[in-house]
Amino acid sequence: MIVCVAVVGHQNNPLYIQSFTEADDALKLHHIVHCSLDVVDERVNNPKKSGPMLNETFLGLLYPTENYKVYGYLTNTKVKFILVTTDLDVRDADVRNFFGRFHAAYVDAVSNPFHVPGKKITSRTFAERVSNIVKSFGLSSAG
Amino acid sequence: MANFLAQFQSIKNSCDHIIIAVEDVSDLWPLVKKGFEERLPYERACLNNKTRNPVFVEKLRAEYILTTDSRLRSRFHQEQSLFWFREPYATVVLVTCEDLDEFKTILKPRLKLIVQNEEREWFIVFVSKAPPHNDQATKMAKKVYAKLEVDFSSKKRERCCKLDIQGPEANFWEDLESKLMESIRNTLDRRIQFYEDEIRKLSDQRFMPVWNFCNFFILKESLAFMFEMAHLHEDSLREYDELELCYLETVNMTGKQRDFGGVDHGDDQAALLNPGKKPLTQIVQDDSFREFEFRQYLFACQAKLLFKLNRPFEVSSRGYSFIISFSKALALHENVLPFCMREGWMITACLSLIDTTTSHYSDGLVAPDIEKDFYRVQGDLYSLSRIKFMRLAYLIGYGSEIERSPVNSASLSMLSWPKPAVWPTIPPDASSEVLAKEKMILQATPRIKHFGIQRKPLPLEPSVLLREANRRRASLSAGNVFEMFDGRSGLTDGSGLDANMSPSAKIHAITMSRTNSSPMNFESSIDRPMRLAEIYVAADHALRKTISGPDLCKSLSSIEEFEVKYLELSKGAADNYHRSWWKRHGVVLDGEIAAVCYKRGNFDLAAKSYEKVCALYAGEGWQDLLAEVLPNLAECQKILNDQAGYLASCVKLLSLDRGLFLTKERQAFQSEVVHLAHSEMKHPVPLDVSSLVTFSGIPGPPLELCDGDPGILYVIVWSGFPDDITLESLSLTLTATDNADEGVKAIKSSGATILNPGKNTIILSLPPQKPGSYVLGVLTGQIGQLRFRSHSFSKVGPADSDDFMSYEKPTRPILKVFKPRSLVDLAASVSSALLMTEPQWLGIIVRPINYSLKGAILQIDTGPGLRIEESHIIEIEREANASQNTVALDSSDGASNDGFAVAEEFKQLTLRDGKIELPDWASNITSVLWIPVRAISDGLPRGTSAGAGIPQRQSVVDGLRTIALKLEFGVSHNQTFERTLAVHFTNPFHVSTRVTDKCNDGTLLLQVILHSQVKASLTIYDAWLDLQAGFVHARQGDGRPISSFFPIVVSPTSRAGILFSICLGATIVEDEAKSMPPDSILHIRYGITGDRTHGAHMPTLVEEPSGPEDTPKHLIFSSAIVLQRPVLDPCLAVGFLPLPSTGLRVGQLVTMNWRLERLKDFEENTASESKDEVLYEVNANSENWMIAGRKRGHVPLSTKQGSRIVISILCVPLAAGYVRPPQLGLPNVDEANISCNPPGPHLICVLPPALSSSFCIPA
Repeated sequence: MIVCVAVVGHQNNPLYIQSFTEADDALKLHHIVHCSLDVVDERVNNPKKSGPMLNETFLGLLYPTENYKVYGYLTNTKVKFILVTTDLDVRDADVRNFFGRFHAAYVDAVSNPFHVPGKKITSRTFAERVSNIVKSFGLSSAG
Repeated sequence: MANFLAQFQSIKNSCDHIIIAVEDVSDLWPLVKKGFEERLPYERACLNNKTRNPVFVEKLRAEYILTTDSRLRSRFHQEQSLFWFREPYATVVLVTCEDLDEFKTILKPRLKLIVQNEEREWFIVFVSKAPPHNDQATKMAKKVYAKLEVDFSSKKRERCCKLDIQGPEANFWEDLESKLMESIRNTLDRRIQFYEDEIRKLSDQRFMPVWNFCNFFILKESLAFMFEMAHLHEDSLREYDELELCYLETVNMTGKQRDFGGVDHGDDQAALLNPGKKPLTQIVQDDSFREFEFRQYLFACQAKLLFKLNRPFEVSSRGYSFIISFSKALALHENVLPFCMREGWMITACLSLIDTTTSHYSDGLVAPDIEKDFYRVQGDLYSLSRIKFMRLAYLIGYGSEIERSPVNSASLSMLSWPKPAVWPTIPPDASSEVLAKEKMILQATPRIKHFGIQRKPLPLEPSVLLREANRRRASLSAGNVFEMFDGRSGLTDGSGLDANMSPSAKIHAITMSRTNSSPMNFESSIDRPMRLAEIYVAADHALRKTISGPDLCKSLSSIEEFEVKYLELSKGAADNYHRSWWKRHGVVLDGEIAAVCYKRGNFDLAAKSYEKVCALYAGEGWQDLLAEVLPNLAECQKILNDQAGYLASCVKLLSLDRGLFLTKERQAFQSEVVHLAHSEMKHPVPLDVSSLVTFSGIPGPPLELCDGDPGILYVIVWSGFPDDITLESLSLTLTATDNADEGVKAIKSSGATILNPGKNTIILSLPPQKPGSYVLGVLTGQIGQLRFRSHSFSKVGPADSDDFMSYEKPTRPILKVFKPRSLVDLAASVSSALLMTEPQWLGIIVRPINYSLKGAILQIDTGPGLRIEESHIIEIEREANASQNTVALDSSDGASNDGFAVAEEFKQLTLRDGKIELPDWASNITSVLWIPVRAISDGLPRGTSAGAGIPQRQSVVDGLRTIALKLEFGVSHNQTFERTLAVHFTNPFHVSTRVTDKCNDGTLLLQVILHSQVKASLTIYDAWLDLQAGFVHARQGDGRPISSFFPIVVSPTSRAGILFSICLGATIVEDEAKSMPPDSILHIRYGITGDRTHGAHMPTLVEEPSGPEDTPKHLIFSSAIVLQRPVLDPCLAVGFLPLPSTGLRVGQLVTMNWRLERLKDFEENTASESKDEVLYEVNANSENWMIAGRKRGHVPLSTKQGSRIVISILCVPLAAGYVRPPQLGLPNVDEANISCNPPGPHLICVLPPALSSSFCIPA
């Protein structure tokens, strides 16, 4: 289950963060997303490590813990997408697919002329679209 | 083969280096042993690794063992092949021989016997005992050695070397070592080959039922061990890695249910770095090993090799993933393991890994990125153990001590509860402990956040512990306890800790626990759900059984000990993260450390750490997280009395997103600020409220001011305070955009300002600024004692608190002050002269140039000769109207007086102290101010005689008058404009006279010519002449021309003439002469029709009612005329006699003749001396004439009438042309008495000289 998705700006500022848990614990997901930026930074700053991934937007699994997984995605404009999932058995292709759709939704949202670049995304359409993407996560491949 | 496991282990333990066998044929070993062993270990050796590539190894350890040694004897063959690694890698045959025969007969056969075993790598060391001075012996030794070489060395391989005991033999040792190495290398290669073959054979079978992992393991580890002995650690490591892979592949392959292991006492302490913790024989299970122990064993072996390879960082990174994957394995088998075994194992594993790797690690040995990574893994290890430790602590009831921060919540709430087969039960005698725990639960008070912030605490548990524990118990019991419990679960829902429940629920919980804790139903705890305290106690007991490590036991024994350990782990994690790339992880953990520091009362440290966390969150705009930590920081600062910091924190709290705090909380922040601001602050601190109070100019174009003008500036200030706030003062600086050097000037708002939440418009009065464009600078203000500043601009719209990223810094200028320019122009509206001495309207055009003249005051100062008719009213009108009115004015002069109907745009003003105030309507339009003035002129204008030049120029200068104007205008009369206007006044006419005819009766016809001087038509109604003494009018009239001529209309700049007939009057008595004017005066009564906008006009100011109605308003113009009495008695006549008719030529003598004739008898009153002679004088231009003879002299002339004389003068003309002839003058006679003919100057023609023809005569 995806518990959280986030868009983080190129200055590591949160642009959009949405948790999908029932409990009132969004803050811990904020923390997870924020800390995962460490890994993104590390990968971006150490091109050696990323190696062949250099031109890849999908950063893959950022850090595995026992309980949840954090995936990252870095756009050309250094906007990061973070996905936190409690599914410990996730297929890479699903995540890639998810990020692809998420990226498209993001691009549409920031193309809105009333959106101020670098400010939080407040579009309701975007939120709806994201929640649809989240709901359908893993379904395509499973079904 | 598995039976050999024990033996294998013991062999491994006893032998960890290479063995070299020494075949001491000639009992030489005692002699050379020292020399051989001195050179151990081998400094540098070259061996082949598994892929047959040469590898240099250092400090290769080896041992020489005599073949007769018991260790090398009595081994079974199978043993030998299995544990081949411990067999000698080379055999050194020590021989000596001093006799060739002996060699041939004894030594050689024996040696042949020894070396016939092909499997051995051998070589012969020939020891020569011959002393160096004994040539014979030396020679013999050489011979024997040569023979030896021939027999045993081949071309392929040297197998002999020679050691001279007596002589120095430096080369020998190198020789020996190289031969040794060669042998070892060969042996190693062969053995590797052997093991590989064996292993391959076995591994091919690994999917068959006969597969025995133990056999495979022995072979594989033997190979690995051999590599390790040969210091080929890389290869050894690879073998272990393969072994691990193979194990993982096969361990759960077959359907065989194997024991997992880990149920022994002490198994909770990780043995992942201690390969010898348990003998392998103990962990054998059928044909394999127990996973729990064996995987740790393998990792320990790998770690050992990695340490030998000096790669502790790899140990830690491999270790971390090992722990994670092993933890999964533990989770799979959790139901067979002791309660919380998994957590206990992970804690010890992490800690031991950290300890060992840190002790093996020294900074700076590896590349920086590897180092960073190492520290990151260390941080991860600390963090992992920290999480597990917290979980254990929670289970035994220390949950209230754990900060419910996002980081703890993130790691704990997503971590599932332990899943033992059965949740531990309470030991029978633990009722006192349960009571104690209950007490603890009751006593635990949730930490009240500063400012009364109420937040739902973040969860530390994946689900409610109470329910989870009971469910795990219920799953065993037959009863439907879970359902029963669930019915009441509403009481404890949402939180595993009663302590964190709402007060009402808490009370309920207390009563409930009281009744339930009665001993009566205590025993039957199996059947009824356990209470929280019971769960804690049960877990505590179970843990004590599980955990064998004294350290961990101690750490969980009390809250204080827990805190110590917790702090240690947090610090460890934070420190290591700080050294790695993962700064955020480190800083966040700093916040956790701060919480402990705070709890312990170490507020200073706590504040410092919290500051770091806040800076991190604030810097990247994670406001939600910031809102969680910032109140803690504020609280520390308040306790530390760090007023500046506290205020800054409060301001920051206020400037966070509105949604993050309740209004009540935000009001609390504000009241803190205000309270502090009004309290006595020892050191008043400036406070930056940029994020809270923002400002901007009002939308629209900037305020535009002219140089020197003050203005009023409207500034919008957005207040982020939740309530109104009173500012004692408020000021803003303006910064010039074009001139950075200019010191910024602050503009103050007068008086106290109250800022409402949201948008406020502040009005600032702006003193005059220098020209330029200005933007808003800094807003400063004062709340009580507190001075604050704000640097940030807000866009027009709600203040945006995302101040760290402002895309649009408004550099929009708010004020533009223009360079000095002319703002107004004053000019005279008349284009031609006005009437002298008459009251006239002087029009002054006031033209504002894009500038309002509101309230402007005009100061008028007239120059000499000009006077303002103060009795009259000054008029002002719009300029456009003035031009329209011209037509009207033409028709009636008084139109302007009646013209008040023009409404606003015409007004009458009065002059006060030489100043008038302009009306408001005229402030933006060009208007004309009409001022009644009168030019004063001394004396009458004088007429001129008609022939004389142009005297009018004189009068132009006379008619100039000046008027100085000074206009004060601008918002506060700060602008002035001064100008002196020149106005031209003139008389209506210029008068010239001439006598046109002289009648025989003595009547003179005097023609008076009137030149109109004004641009207006003049109408002459009447004219009369007051004659001076000596003249009288010819007819007995009043000196007026015939009145039917009048009125005469004189168009502008045209002329009119009037004839007067006068005659010379009789001689007048002296007295009368005095009373008569010295000059004749011409009076003209006239009217004028002119427009004041053009020039002279009817002076409308003359009081109308004074005159009789039938008399039109006529003006009188008087001018003095000079009349001269005509020459009455010429007594002498001078006549110029005609010149010869041939004409004059230059250079030709000519006689000029004048005839002088006395016209009347000489009277006595003339000069007596020269009665009968006349003084003459000839005047001639010396350039034209040369005069021969006397120029001056007396000529006789009788006094009788009619006497005449001719005066002749000889002259030579000098210049050709029409020249003036010489003139005869009579200096002694008054000119009036001379009658000349011709009367005036005349010209004569002088021809050029005749051509000289003497040279031109033709021959």
